[in-house]
Amino acid sequence: MAGSDLYTGSLDLIILKSLTFGPMHGYAIGRWIRQTTSEELAVQEGALYPALHRLERKGFLAEEWGMTDTNREAKFYRLTTDGITHLKTELARWHRYARVMTTALSAAPTQG
Amino acid sequence: MKKRFSLDASTDTVLGDVQREIDLHLDLRASEFEALGMKPDEARRAALAAFGDRGEVESEVAVVRTKTIRERRRRDWLAELRQDAVIGIRGLMRAPAFTIVALLTLGIGIGANTAIFSVIRSVLLRPLPYTHPEQLVQVWTDHRAKGRPEPEWLTPPDFIEWRDGNRSFSHLAAYQGWGPDITSGGDPEALTGAAVSGTMLAMLDVKPVLGRLLNASDDDPGMEQVVVLSHGLWQRRFGSDSTIIGKPLTLSGTSWTVVGVLPASFRAPMSFAPELYRALRRPVNETCGRGCYILQVIGRLKAGTTLAMAHADLTRIATQQAIDFPATNAKIGVWLVPLHEQLTGKSRSALLALSGAVAFVLLIGCVNLANLLLVRGAARTRELGVRAALGAGRGRMIRQLLTENLILAFLGGVLGIALGFAGSRVMAAMVPESIRLVQDIRMDGQVLLFAAGVTLLGMALFGVLPALQAVRPNLMGALRSGTRQTERRGGALRSGLVVAQLSLAVVLLVGAGLLLRSFVELQRVDLGYRTSGISFAGVGFPRARYADVARVSLALEDLLARLRNTPAIRSVEITDVPPLSGGDQDISVFPLGEAQRADLPPSIWARSVTPGYIRQMGVRLVAGRQLSDEDRRGGVRVALINEEAARRYFPGTSAVGRILATGTDSASPQYTIVGVVASVRHNGPNQPYRVEIFRPIAQTSARGIVLVIESAQSEAATRTALRQVLHDVDPLLPVPELEPIDRRLGEAVALPRLYTMLVAGFAIAALLLAVLGVYGVMAYSVSQRQREIGVRLALGAAPSNILGMVLGHGGRLAALGLGVGLVAALMLGQLIRTMLFGVTVFDAPTFIVVPVILGTMALVASWLPARRAMRVDPLVAIRAD
Repeated sequence: MAGSDLYTGSLDLIILKSLTFGPMHGYAIGRWIRQTTSEELAVQEGALYPALHRLERKGFLAEEWGMTDTNREAKFYRLTTDGITHLKTELARWHRYARVMTTALSAAPTQG
Repeated sequence: MKKRFSLDASTDTVLGDVQREIDLHLDLRASEFEALGMKPDEARRAALAAFGDRGEVESEVAVVRTKTIRERRRRDWLAELRQDAVIGIRGLMRAPAFTIVALLTLGIGIGANTAIFSVIRSVLLRPLPYTHPEQLVQVWTDHRAKGRPEPEWLTPPDFIEWRDGNRSFSHLAAYQGWGPDITSGGDPEALTGAAVSGTMLAMLDVKPVLGRLLNASDDDPGMEQVVVLSHGLWQRRFGSDSTIIGKPLTLSGTSWTVVGVLPASFRAPMSFAPELYRALRRPVNETCGRGCYILQVIGRLKAGTTLAMAHADLTRIATQQAIDFPATNAKIGVWLVPLHEQLTGKSRSALLALSGAVAFVLLIGCVNLANLLLVRGAARTRELGVRAALGAGRGRMIRQLLTENLILAFLGGVLGIALGFAGSRVMAAMVPESIRLVQDIRMDGQVLLFAAGVTLLGMALFGVLPALQAVRPNLMGALRSGTRQTERRGGALRSGLVVAQLSLAVVLLVGAGLLLRSFVELQRVDLGYRTSGISFAGVGFPRARYADVARVSLALEDLLARLRNTPAIRSVEITDVPPLSGGDQDISVFPLGEAQRADLPPSIWARSVTPGYIRQMGVRLVAGRQLSDEDRRGGVRVALINEEAARRYFPGTSAVGRILATGTDSASPQYTIVGVVASVRHNGPNQPYRVEIFRPIAQTSARGIVLVIESAQSEAATRTALRQVLHDVDPLLPVPELEPIDRRLGEAVALPRLYTMLVAGFAIAALLLAVLGVYGVMAYSVSQRQREIGVRLALGAAPSNILGMVLGHGGRLAALGLGVGLVAALMLGQLIRTMLFGVTVFDAPTFIVVPVILGTMALVASWLPARRAMRVDPLVAIRAD
């Protein structure tokens, strides 16, 4: 995604993670990401929506129209069973990947 | 409050959805900035900046979302389809009688249509099995200016001049029948062969499986005599001998060399199936001159040349010939027929008429099914009402009913295709020999596609209307009131369908009636000669061993004397052209001294016969005397002519004692007419009388003759005797088949008989289906009107009034159907005009009998329900429901 320093797939992973706390509308998901990452990820907020709809298309999310706390109509997203399963596999993969990359990147250079 | 996932994938809706979502995001984000102390417009700008390019996001989301919606819709649709199918199959299994009737109706209807179409496809639609078949043309001479309506063959000089002078054809090839007997390697056998221009096989672009084809140099009389074998003869007589090339054969007493074998797939574009081919050398040495029409010609047009251009080109040559040789070529033109049309011949209109008839049967069957489904739909009104109440949408319910019908249609289609395969074989028999020799009648992809199309069409006809009717918007009303008030409209629809059915049945019945009457007329025709108890057997005396015609005469006398001494044979005579043979020969004659008379027939059909032939065939002698054994070679040439010839050549006077001459010089044969015989229909019952002459065979030079044998014992004994006698006369003569005349006659009327039987069968099926339709509607209407009838009876109506009311209803339907049907039949009758014989399209008996039959059947069909209506118990009827 242009203008983002996210690795491929990591935005999807964060979105799925955010929804483990219950259904949320798009703005709330964005706010959660900003807060939990201390706004360190430079992501255009708009990039969230294509990602949400792609996840929905894959069947990992379902949508429902509902009311916000301030009584405005909003589209709420929630994890589907498929979404939960997918999140579990992706998390395991991410952890392994992060561990391998960390090990590799922190190795001391061999003197030649 | 919560909406289900929208299935509306229109761009507006999708985009609106996305915009609302983003609007909310921006509003909330702006309030967040405001809470941090920004002014509203500043907060708004900050929110937009944090969001990024709104337009890009919106369009990206819209694309994804549209795809999502489409996928889900497809998935839901499939899931519903599966559900519908399960419900449908259950529903069909719950009503086995309905299902079986429906499947049989569809299966037979589709099967019959498919079978007929397989013939139409093979005969009319599939191209001929040659390279660029559209370039192939049958070339005839046109004698219509001389009063001969049929196209005629070519003379050798015509052929050579047309072949060498034209600019339109890449090839022009002639052929004629050739009947050699083979005496080498096995029993003597008569073969069916063709003498063809050396270039003919190459013109048809056939590739030999062994050796070579004939070529132009084989036409040179100085070349070795060679033959090319058909695959069939090579297998049958020579056991597929792969070393046959170069081997000699003895054909009709001379030696020939095999140079090639044709592939099994090759079919000659001729009205007979040659087993072997030799080069046609005759036209080159011109032993036969102008006025001697012995060649059939096929040409291949040059690429880009039209039939009209070729016609003009050949006409240019023919016109010059007419100037150069007025005695023989005046008033003779060119007649070109595309080869496909030539071979398809007259079967076209018959096939189209049959396919129309069979389509009608399917249509009537479908209407019956539609009616059945309407009744079923009405019976299920409550069920559907309940489902509607439980939230099933109208479209959803229509789809469910359609699925059920689709299952029926699919199963019916499968059954129909299976029946079509079987029927296709039967149908192949009705195709004229000339096309069957060239094209196999078989099923192919297009026929299957057609069957599928018919199935879908049938399904649309019988399935859609009832489904729509069953799911009317006022189902809720139906739920409350049962079936009573919703009946009226369904009743009208059903009545309309029954009228349509009856009309279609009337058209078919009229068609069948006309064909049946034609067939009876055809059978009633007196041919004028005996049509049972005699058989024909052909014998040929090859030129190589019987060079002198006197030798042929001696052999014939020997043969006759021996056969007449055989107890198995009561009588035997000889003709060179048997009746009903199709083959014929004609000669030009004129009364002596009247060569220029304008009203003379163009030629006279000639037979060479033994003196007893006329008597044996039961042909009446009208004037003069019979031929006799005293009329011998070298004596005065005598002949009999028929009444038709006597009338045309010697109008108003007696023909006996007069002379017919074949030319003006003294060398041309002249025939003294010694007697006149009755005119007979030698070529079949649907042929007019022709002018005919009978000459004593002892005075002519016929080499190929036909024995006319009346057996005294069994056919087997006769055959044995014939074999023995032929062997004694000449052991090299092939033993012919014995062909009874009734079989020949049967073949002559086989085609009309088959058409008649088929159409009559279709018409009976149509009648039964239509009458069933009437019965169904009347019975249903009576059962629906029980309460009304009960009230009428309670108020004092007599049962006979009720009977009259119901019969009146049925009568009105029948009258309407008859009216429409008779008008349609009058219009469509033109289509089968060429198939009729002895009756016109406006045949009064047919147009009287059909309404009587249909009216009676319709009344019976209404009477049964009417009787039940009469017996309605008012109390029970009113209390019911």
